[in-house]
Amino acid sequence: MAAITSKAFMPFGRINVPCFVKYNCLNRATYATSLPENVSTRNKGPPGRGVKGARREAGQPRAEKMEFDQDWTAVYPAATPFRPSSVPLPVRMGYPVKRGVPPEKKGNLELIKIPNFLHLTPVAIRKQCEALKPFCTEWPSVLDSEAKCDQHFPIKVESTDYMSAGQSVRNPEARIVHLKVKVSSLNLDDHARKKMLKLARERYCKDTDVLTIKTDSCPLRQQNSDYAMYLLTVLYHESWKTEAWEAEKTVADMEEYSWEDSPSQKNILDTLVRMKAEGEGEGLHEELLGRREVQEYKDSVTRLKIEGESESTMLQYSQAVKKVLNL
Amino acid sequence: MAALMTLGREFFSLTGMLAGISHLGRKGSCVCRCHRKCPTIRSHLPLTSSSCFHTATVFSSTASSITVTEEPDSLLQKVSLLVKGHDRAVLDSYEFFATTAAKELGITLDKVHEPPKIMERFTLLKSVHIFKKHRVQYEMRTHYRCIELSHITGCTAQVYLEYIQRNLPEGVAMQVTKTAMEKVPEHILEPMWKDEPSAAQ
Repeated sequence: MAAITSKAFMPFGRINVPCFVKYNCLNRATYATSLPENVSTRNKGPPGRGVKGARREAGQPRAEKMEFDQDWTAVYPAATPFRPSSVPLPVRMGYPVKRGVPPEKKGNLELIKIPNFLHLTPVAIRKQCEALKPFCTEWPSVLDSEAKCDQHFPIKVESTDYMSAGQSVRNPEARIVHLKVKVSSLNLDDHARKKMLKLARERYCKDTDVLTIKTDSCPLRQQNSDYAMYLLTVLYHESWKTEAWEAEKTVADMEEYSWEDSPSQKNILDTLVRMKAEGEGEGLHEELLGRREVQEYKDSVTRLKIEGESESTMLQYSQAVKKVLNL
Repeated sequence: MAALMTLGREFFSLTGMLAGISHLGRKGSCVCRCHRKCPTIRSHLPLTSSSCFHTATVFSSTASSITVTEEPDSLLQKVSLLVKGHDRAVLDSYEFFATTAAKELGITLDKVHEPPKIMERFTLLKSVHIFKKHRVQYEMRTHYRCIELSHITGCTAQVYLEYIQRNLPEGVAMQVTKTAMEKVPEHILEPMWKDEPSAAQ
């Protein structure tokens, strides 16, 4: 190749180097003006191989000299493009010509274009993993089930890394952090729990009892995770506080339906009192509440309010009403 | 619990470990951020089992020094790898590589599945000027592969992910979603205003 400089041949003096060295060894300064003698004057064509006929033969491809039990990791130690002379496989790739077969591997561009995994044979993977094993640590055997993990480590912090070829390594979505915690694992009493869920609003999922805090306002992931932890702390401590205006909580603000002191209770008790003969007195209310039919009525009404109207709830309600009113 | 505090290992960069990796231009190392900094010392690497490698780069093989620090290791409940590419065969091979490496390193594989491919198509005019009736259509196919690992320590995850990411083939993108487990911090265990009488609801 013309790329070999003349300096490499200096120590050898005036050797009649075969034609593939373009520059003369005699002249130390390789000027383009003087044509050397031992290069043929026929060299009018594009610069490349010199004299025809004195060409060096291409040797046997390496693939033919390979043994079965050679060390393949020495042939392909790292990710390199496909070399047809180094791979002893009769691979064919490409769209076949008419009534023909796909082209062979020699000079096949399709095989060079596609990424190959010749450097990641199972043997190579095993060797590399053996070398990596000292850096790994073991998972503690105590935490073998999900339940135990949730019990000891209830807070989960989720984050995502992105990796792709592009003009920039950074991905702005990598700063987003999700903090998930089961509300039942925090130390909260009844009032604190209700207040926390009211403050969290749509961040709380009722089915799974998980509070999710998503932070993306800071530019770095560490900042976002610190901010999420700070939000959780503030939420926790605020929910334990009781403000003066919380005493003004109305029935419309209540999270669950409670039958006591509800219009339904008043109605049924008034109805039952009026059904009974007069002269019984006001102590009848507690007595009525203790009766089994009234309790059943209370259960059916509560279930109706919580679950909504369906076949089973309506049936239960009708049966309870019949029993209470002795129909 | 003392049993749960695993010792963290100071993690040295794998630059010299994976022999002859010549991808100096490999840009995508958005590796997971560790709690501690990871010093990139290249010469302190054990070359014991890798001596049969053909090392393209020459390192001075000093004595192997793996320091074990007292800092507790982070625990990852789930690591989900989503690999995207245009060629399904490349993703097949990569999945084989990732699963084999996970088995060798002793990482539990949860699920390995293939989400359905997404084809983005659009229609353009064939000609530079006029000829509205003649169009040409292009499409881009993105194939996916999802590998889910569970119950890994922070150190192992870092080792595995760096190994996987350094061998990511060209034209393939990856997203790694990590779920780290943490204890409830001390400032959330008890409310601050415990001494004040709180009015019952």
